[in-house]
Amino acid sequence: MNHQLAACLEHVKKPSRYAGGEYGAVVKDRQSVDVRFALCFPELYEIGMSHLGSKILYGLLNAMDGVWCERAYAPYTDMEREMRARGLPAYALESGDPLSDFDILGFTLQYELNYTAVLNMLDMAGIPFYASQRTSLTPLVVAGGPCVYNCEPVADFFDIVLIGEGEESLPELIQLYREARASGASKQEFLQRAAQIQGFYVPSMYDVSYNADGTVAAVTPKNGAPEMVRKRVVKDFDKAYFPDRFIVPSTDIVFDRAMVELFRGCRRGCRFCQAGYTYRPIRAKSPETLKKQARRLVETTGYDEVSLTSLSSSDYPHLEALCESLTADFEPRHINLALPSLRADNFNLDLMENVQKVRKSGLTFAPEAGTQRLRDVINKNLREEDLQNACRVAFGAGYNSVKLYFMMGLPTETDEDLLGIASIARNVLGNFRENASNRTRGVRVSVGVATFVPKAQTPFQWFGQIDRQEIVRRQQLLMDSLKIKNVTYSLHGWQASFLEAVLARGGRRLAPVIEGAWRRGSRLDGWDECFDLNRWLEAFEECGVDPAFYANRALGEHEITPWDHIFSGVTKQYLRGEYERSLRGEPTPDCKAGCRNCGALSLTGVKCDV
Amino acid sequence: MYKVRIAFQKDEPACYISHLDLMKALQRSLRRAGLPARYSEGFNPHIVLSILVPLSTGYRSRYELCDFDLTCDGLPPDLVPRLNGALPSGLTVIRAGQAVRPAAQAALSDFEIIWHGVRCADAMESALKNQLTVEKRSKRGSRQVDIRDYVRLYTLCEQGGDTVCRCVLKGGEDPLNPAYVTQAMIQEGILPEGTPVTYTRCAILDENGKEFF
Repeated sequence: MNHQLAACLEHVKKPSRYAGGEYGAVVKDRQSVDVRFALCFPELYEIGMSHLGSKILYGLLNAMDGVWCERAYAPYTDMEREMRARGLPAYALESGDPLSDFDILGFTLQYELNYTAVLNMLDMAGIPFYASQRTSLTPLVVAGGPCVYNCEPVADFFDIVLIGEGEESLPELIQLYREARASGASKQEFLQRAAQIQGFYVPSMYDVSYNADGTVAAVTPKNGAPEMVRKRVVKDFDKAYFPDRFIVPSTDIVFDRAMVELFRGCRRGCRFCQAGYTYRPIRAKSPETLKKQARRLVETTGYDEVSLTSLSSSDYPHLEALCESLTADFEPRHINLALPSLRADNFNLDLMENVQKVRKSGLTFAPEAGTQRLRDVINKNLREEDLQNACRVAFGAGYNSVKLYFMMGLPTETDEDLLGIASIARNVLGNFRENASNRTRGVRVSVGVATFVPKAQTPFQWFGQIDRQEIVRRQQLLMDSLKIKNVTYSLHGWQASFLEAVLARGGRRLAPVIEGAWRRGSRLDGWDECFDLNRWLEAFEECGVDPAFYANRALGEHEITPWDHIFSGVTKQYLRGEYERSLRGEPTPDCKAGCRNCGALSLTGVKCDV
Repeated sequence: MYKVRIAFQKDEPACYISHLDLMKALQRSLRRAGLPARYSEGFNPHIVLSILVPLSTGYRSRYELCDFDLTCDGLPPDLVPRLNGALPSGLTVIRAGQAVRPAAQAALSDFEIIWHGVRCADAMESALKNQLTVEKRSKRGSRQVDIRDYVRLYTLCEQGGDTVCRCVLKGGEDPLNPAYVTQAMIQEGILPEGTPVTYTRCAILDENGKEFF
């Protein structure tokens, strides 16, 4: 370890997150590799290390001959201060080498509020922000992750944005890079070749023109780039690459456990949910594959918990048999199964009991809205009856803590819908009094209410977010109505949700704003203690951009959105149909009841696993 | 059941692992090594493990001690290599055996302190001839203590541009963190504020100054 780094680590909180050397970290000989890839997570280590996708890509890249993939995370403010004071550049954890030494920097864009952290990491690496300022082939700065379905606000910063699943596209990127380097191709030649590959979005090859009102007039591809960039997906998910081992951190992280992925995609079609549309089509792994992967990870990591992840785990068709088989194996070894993302309408107590033999946790459900009317609008096909049934069974079995997640500011929402949230909480309390096996222990109901943020590539992309005054008024209404004994609630400040809404549906004119916010000190906007909207408001003003134009404005039916040239598989026509059904309060049956022809099948050509 | 004691080194980068995180890292390493560790029998079963003498985060050590129980009889002959294959980088087991002596007999710690970029061995030597009071904080509050009551033995020398102190400090119930030595020397005006320091525990000793295992 170099002396500068050691000196920094004397003065920061949780230094081990900056030290590397975790069990399972891959260290290769610099001389034996020809491509060095830095997997950059623009968030703190604790968050980044919890992310399954990064673990998959890390394993995949390091399994390739001649490729060494390392990790880099955003430093917390104390570490940034120490590093800058000592002139220590951003480095990768495995080798400690500066990021500027790498061939490719791959950023994952998980959350809009991480954008300034991308710039900060580039700045600390001494790498220019804009793709146009980086004229040589190396270092390439690329991006992937869920935010790519509208990455226009950050598009100018990246040479290539990989749309879809990295297992498919990253090996091709490496191959293409090697060929370009060997043939002495210029960066421009390389990018032109890249743009021909499905899922490779080269922002510099698209010109955006605007109407007088600021809306997009046209997005025009150049140099033979395709009109639409189609998402890449793994076709045979059961056989897709999955790592044999994870890096096991030596300090606490948010999700510190082994994980296997039951399936990708979700059949439910909740209209606010970006993942529910952009991860289609639905592809499941077989129970045999999952068992093998879970067992292997437990052996290699030493974890005592395995999480069965997906967007809606109780929708996995073989869940019971899988859990039974895994618990039979794991329970004697004191290994716990975790089942996040359960739905109240197919909640199964036997399953919960079976899963939680080792350690019992609380229950979490997400009704999302307070009345059936609004739940129909958002297509959260869940009835309060189902929720109360699930709670009744669970209370009877000794559970006494329930978390309920809602959103406020949903399209068509009225005060009645908001008051419905308190009414559900009260009914859960009554339910406990009637059905609890052990009433003396008392009950805890916690209600979390997030502010709705309209996201690109969803049926709700046409809606604007309610404005600041209205958010504040509705939150006050919620606070007044949720003052109930044994109920705790949490609401988020409007500021971060507002900024998220600006960035989620924003266009390329936001790039200088993001840079301006960074210049004013924005770094880790996802953290309350670091976030200050004023820096952003100043940056908007400086650039002459009205944030409300992106956050609060409803888009016109025929308006060209900034992300129209990115194809997630679900057609705009399908999304518009869902939008219209929502206005009529009409739910859409889930995909199990029959294919709705959303368009995603065009990506694989095979039927969804529902 | 067999009560195991291991001695291990804690070097870079593992020296930045905090005490609680180290316990978790060792529990996971035991599982990865496939050793039959004993679990607690409570509501939340976990491998019972204790680190005998805690070490501050960032300090290196050539000799740390940790106890755990195995459900088998006797020490597996390959325990040390198996565990070493399962540890995070910077942790190395150097010895394993039966845990016999109670932890309370680990009375002293032998530390090496390196103050980088300063040459002040003589000044420190004279400072240590007189009372050297620092405010020592503990869970029970803070009080004024004389450093010399906690230093059993010491040597001071200069190496290259650094000053090196090797000292045997009181451990046990009322231990002295070697950072207090630095604090005292700053108070005396001998060390400049912000001098880079490296602390390394060289050994854990019993009351008689013999290596404790």
